Amino acid sequence: MSIVERSPVGVEAGRLGPDPAPAELAVDAASLPGRLIIVEGIDGSGKSTQIDLLHKWLVGQGYLTIYTEWNSAPIVRATTRRGKRRQLLTPMSFSLIHAADFANRVYSEVLPAMRAGAVVLADRYAYTAFARDHARGVPREWLRRLYSFAVTPTLALYFDVPLEEAMRRIASARAGIKYYEAGMDLGLSEDPLESFRIFQGRIIDEYGRLTEEFGLTRIDATDTLVRQQQRIRELVAPHLEGVRRVEGGDVRDALRAADLTGRYVQLPALRSEARE
Amino acid sequence: MSAPGFYGVAPPGEWDEPLPGRLIVIEGTDRVGRSTQVSMLKEWLEDEGYAVVDTGLRRSQLAGPGIERAKRGHTLDPITLNLFYATDLWDQLERQILPALRAGMVALVDRYIFSMVARAVVRGVPRGWIEDLYGFALIPDRVIYLDIDVPELLPRVLARGGFDYWESGRDYIGGDDVYGSFVAYQTQLLAEFRRLAEKHGFTVVDARGSVTEVFGRLRHEIADAVSGMKGDPAPAPNGGSPAP
Repeated sequence: MSIVERSPVGVEAGRLGPDPAPAELAVDAASLPGRLIIVEGIDGSGKSTQIDLLHKWLVGQGYLTIYTEWNSAPIVRATTRRGKRRQLLTPMSFSLIHAADFANRVYSEVLPAMRAGAVVLADRYAYTAFARDHARGVPREWLRRLYSFAVTPTLALYFDVPLEEAMRRIASARAGIKYYEAGMDLGLSEDPLESFRIFQGRIIDEYGRLTEEFGLTRIDATDTLVRQQQRIRELVAPHLEGVRRVEGGDVRDALRAADLTGRYVQLPALRSEARE
Repeated sequence: MSAPGFYGVAPPGEWDEPLPGRLIVIEGTDRVGRSTQVSMLKEWLEDEGYAVVDTGLRRSQLAGPGIERAKRGHTLDPITLNLFYATDLWDQLERQILPALRAGMVALVDRYIFSMVARAVVRGVPRGWIEDLYGFALIPDRVIYLDIDVPELLPRVLARGGFDYWESGRDYIGGDDVYGSFVAYQTQLLAEFRRLAEKHGFTVVDARGSVTEVFGRLRHEIADAVSGMKGDPAPAPNGGSPAP
């Protein structure tokens, strides 16, 4: 007999909030109509460039496509920013606050979109936490259980790049190396560049292990950009079978047919077109 | 004194050094009188000559303000909310509680992981997940649970502002019957607290009666928990639960 049945008023516990935590946390992605494609790799591996190209291709093909990136949940971001600015974060709090960001995006972005039949693209996923937090000394087993609510991706791509190559790319593209990105909180070296080398080296080692453990698909990130994208599309295509596509004929067709300019039409499709 | 223990796998760090202080946790549902008692206990302990640091939920430098903001919107799923609270607790452990224990102080904590576990479980979060999450928590020297039933709780709630949104389970119980929702929620919550009390060997203190009576009961238990700090370094009751 449940506790609720014994309560004097007989109120039954209803649904949970916006998106309920299921009795069992692990969601079987295969049971959802959408797809989840994620990219992983260290900074400077080129994964963001490739997922952006993939995104545009999928949209062009008419797939409902949702993009989500690491550390972007509005409700959590202020806390993470506060922690980074004031250098309050330590290995455990760094791990926990990023897990909060991830959970918020899983329940408010990823799962609803997958239930709606969209293709969800994620720039970094739980594997980032597995690699990075472990490089900070957080126990592997605890991390696996912490992230057990994560949806298993349909396809997970790991952008494999040698450390020196990634460092060269970052040095030429950015003003400076960030404190936490270099693992400066671990006191590995006073020199940010040296600290970055040691810390990211550890992350690469852990990614190697994760590739085995979770069957991530390795992409040679030293290959030319166009060949990488070709390979990615070949890998993605078989997973798109049976995925919902937007029916042809959008607002533009309707306007054209009626010989109108669409002066007052405020649709995202038209706005983004104007931006480009 | 033995090295500190954790509920699960030890978090990163060196944990060989014994902690000369005492970690004392006061748990219990909202409006049971917990915070009032904690304030009085702090004063009493200081009068007795113990250095005290007092802390509690949402009081971390890192995550306190973020949780307050997030709660205002009523939009967080229970997993995210718990990860937020876990961040808050860890930050306090690291910045306030552990340094205090190393310095030989009494850390008096107004709600620890158990309030979070109880609230999460009644909202359908798997017990295994939430308990694993809080595996990083240091096992207290003593957990005191202020025990009360819903009928005795009701007058205290009504006397102090009525039914709170979260403390009535409004975030997950449907319908428009706030009283019914409160009773159902607190009934489930108290059952979960009692389950935890049994599992983790809490010291159960009867929270019924006057503030003076409850204070007397608490002082009696806490005097026992801090015994040995002044005189001979008798072995600390570490490893958490006192003998039943």
